[in-house]
Amino acid sequence: MAHKAECEEALDRLFEYIDNELPDDELVRIGEHLKTCPPCEAEHRINEKIKRMVHGAGGEVAPGDLRTKVLATIREARTAE
Amino acid sequence: MTDTDFDFETEALSYMDQLYAAALRMTRHGADAEDLVQETYAKAFAAQDKFTPGTNLKAWLYRIQTNAFINTYRKKQREPKRSDAEQVEDWQLAAAAEHTSSGLASAEDAALDSMGDTEVKRALAELSDDFRMAVYLSDVEGFAYKEIAQIMDTPVGTVMSRLHRGRKLLREKLREYAADRGMYDRREGATPKKDQEVCDGAQG
Repeated sequence: MAHKAECEEALDRLFEYIDNELPDDELVRIGEHLKTCPPCEAEHRINEKIKRMVHGAGGEVAPGDLRTKVLATIREARTAE
Repeated sequence: MTDTDFDFETEALSYMDQLYAAALRMTRHGADAEDLVQETYAKAFAAQDKFTPGTNLKAWLYRIQTNAFINTYRKKQREPKRSDAEQVEDWQLAAAAEHTSSGLASAEDAALDSMGDTEVKRALAELSDDFRMAVYLSDVEGFAYKEIAQIMDTPVGTVMSRLHRGRKLLREKLREYAADRGMYDRREGATPKKDQEVCDGAQG
């Protein structure tokens, strides 16, 4: 069935769609499919949400003494030249 | 020494927080992460003549750090978690390419909202190195597949497969955490039949 093939394509390319790695025509085609297919859209929404969660979990700042240590390493390498 | 119009030191050092956060995800240890970043900078400065100003410095630094991690830290790690790679069989991938029922999907969607940074970090930490790094480089740093391929020194197809498998495992782990808390029941029977929906049916 044509519709089933569309679902397969959308699910197969879902990560590329989310990562914005698809050529424009495929991006549009899959975007259109997602609008009309609730189960595929649910998959899309979940995977996109997880991507956002991973993006947001992190952002640790380097400890101040690491900066000092790195600078010391560089200076040392400089004077050794 | 650097050229006057491109201050390698200043530019490279501006990425320290990002490299440190990535190193934390890679090594899963604060002290190892600091050592890794220091090693990365030592290597970067030693090789700075090989960097072409105007090209992607951030990706270049990530590549050095990734290599350093693979060559130094991965080898000395107690027990590298390799089991994930073997766990995802092709039939599992094929099964995962199908829809879940809408009832399950919305339960999962809602369960995700209750997850915090701690769970996400834990799930990431449980992935094998290659999967974790691919997911991190894409989701956190927003590198394109081509850049990840360069950083991880692997073909784009391998990057895509690592992302695919890594994300499926990550999702599976988040589902497990939610199920442990009683927030998500993955059994099909747990959702009313009427909630189940498939594409063919939706289209008529």
